[in-house]
Amino acid sequence: MRRKLRIYLPFALNEMKRQMSYKGAFYLFILISTFSSFVSYFLWMAIYGSTDRVMLGGLTKEEMVVYIFMVYVTGSIVSISISDWVSDDVVKGTVAMNLIKPLDYRLSLISRALGCSVYNFFVPSVFIWIGLEIYKVNVLGMPVTGVWNVVLYIISCIMSFLIFVLFDFCVGMIAFFTNYIFGLLMVKEALLKFLTGALIPLSFFPEGVRRVFDFLPFSSMVYTPVMLYLGKYSMAELEFVLARQAIWVVLLYLLGSLIWKRVTTRLVVLGG
Amino acid sequence: MKTIKRYMRLYKVLIVQFFKVIMQSKVDFLMGLFGFFFTQITGILFLYLVFEQIPLLQGWSLEQLIFIYGFAQIPRSIDHLFTDNIWLVAWRLVINGDFDRYMLRPMNVFFQVIAEKLQPDALGELLVGSILVIHSCRKGIVVTDALHIGLFFVSIMAGALIYTSIKLFFASFAFWIKTSGPFLQVAYELADFAKYPTEMYAKGIQFLITWVIPFAFVAYLPASYFLGRGGFFGAGSSNVEVIGIECLIAGLFWCIAYSVFRKGISIYESAGN
Repeated sequence: MRRKLRIYLPFALNEMKRQMSYKGAFYLFILISTFSSFVSYFLWMAIYGSTDRVMLGGLTKEEMVVYIFMVYVTGSIVSISISDWVSDDVVKGTVAMNLIKPLDYRLSLISRALGCSVYNFFVPSVFIWIGLEIYKVNVLGMPVTGVWNVVLYIISCIMSFLIFVLFDFCVGMIAFFTNYIFGLLMVKEALLKFLTGALIPLSFFPEGVRRVFDFLPFSSMVYTPVMLYLGKYSMAELEFVLARQAIWVVLLYLLGSLIWKRVTTRLVVLGG
Repeated sequence: MKTIKRYMRLYKVLIVQFFKVIMQSKVDFLMGLFGFFFTQITGILFLYLVFEQIPLLQGWSLEQLIFIYGFAQIPRSIDHLFTDNIWLVAWRLVINGDFDRYMLRPMNVFFQVIAEKLQPDALGELLVGSILVIHSCRKGIVVTDALHIGLFFVSIMAGALIYTSIKLFFASFAFWIKTSGPFLQVAYELADFAKYPTEMYAKGIQFLITWVIPFAFVAYLPASYFLGRGGFFGAGSSNVEVIGIECLIAGLFWCIAYSVFRKGISIYESAGN
């Protein structure tokens, strides 16, 4: 364990340093990344303004504000797109270098993603989170989120992170079969935004569709931690959603190992 | 006249090259197209789910919002198809000195920049936009007399020109600060706000996207004219003025952007020693 940490920790630290080196454009990119949250904020305010009902999809207007911005916070910690790195490595052929080193390729990618995630947590997510809590108490008049919910949220987020990167690793494997993965990654992004609940809370979907979502890993990526944060689950549901997340971590880990074994036996790298 | 003919001939040569590229990598082309197509579809699904809960959104029906959404895609995709290379000016061409090659040829520099690349992925956006607009026309919520149809095409062209001008303006900063990609991206992403009725935003944002970076004139305002809604100059006005203002803004922004670009070229210095 200790040895593993010594080997893979530098991957995470390196990634953090790399992120920190692009300071110039950096503030502008943070600004851009919050645009879509603000668009959906105004959109949802208009939606709630157009109806007499207090709750839509099981959420009040105030809870929806928390939902929108916690989706941003969660997304920036959880959704680290490692399939971009995989496709980069495959297209350039550098994946061969990773195969001859005594390293677990997937573990090194996940370590890099962890570095990214920690970095994203400090800039800017944690500030948005604090800002949101202040706004929540002072403007929306809601109580501060309890310690218990925050703890559950963090535990859930860690599993979400693992589910996301393990899933994304499997997606990245497609790069071994086609050169042009850009279009595919766009589809993935749109699909994930929709299925994870980042675009609209999953409770807005019809009952039948929700039943299907229960069997997919996507709701465990963003929707579950945010709903935990909002305290929307009963005790029994709580155990169920956390157990489901844990099961997905294991399943996706096994699936990734299987695909990786298959793929590397047929890999051809030219030159080098 | 002779110069126009020459440029037309050159552009034709370049387009033929472009089609060869598409034919060479059909799968890539189809995946890119599908990618953009799919991204837009989720936007529509979102609206659909929301309208399961509410009948009207600030007085707009689902069908009307779908039209606005679809209409917004058309000028955007036309600009995207023809002038995608402007992005490279902002990000790369100036800072690494590749811009040199445009300066050396006896042709209009702007023409060379946009003629170098067509972006086939944009056809996905164009497809979604057209399908949604045709769908709305068949539902009968769009005014379809000769005047509106004529102005529809005028508005699309003016909208595309507004997009191009905004892109060119921000990309031209690169001549002074070497890479202006992030600024261009901030400005460009503001277009996301214009897919929905502008009235729902805070006053500051409304002002910004109507008069400073006028994306509202590309999508929402003309779209509401085609839906037969007046009201930009008070209730009862025919609102046809909106298209006029759109053209005026397009012309004005183009002149500003192009002169900034010209000024930029004149001070351009290559990288290296």
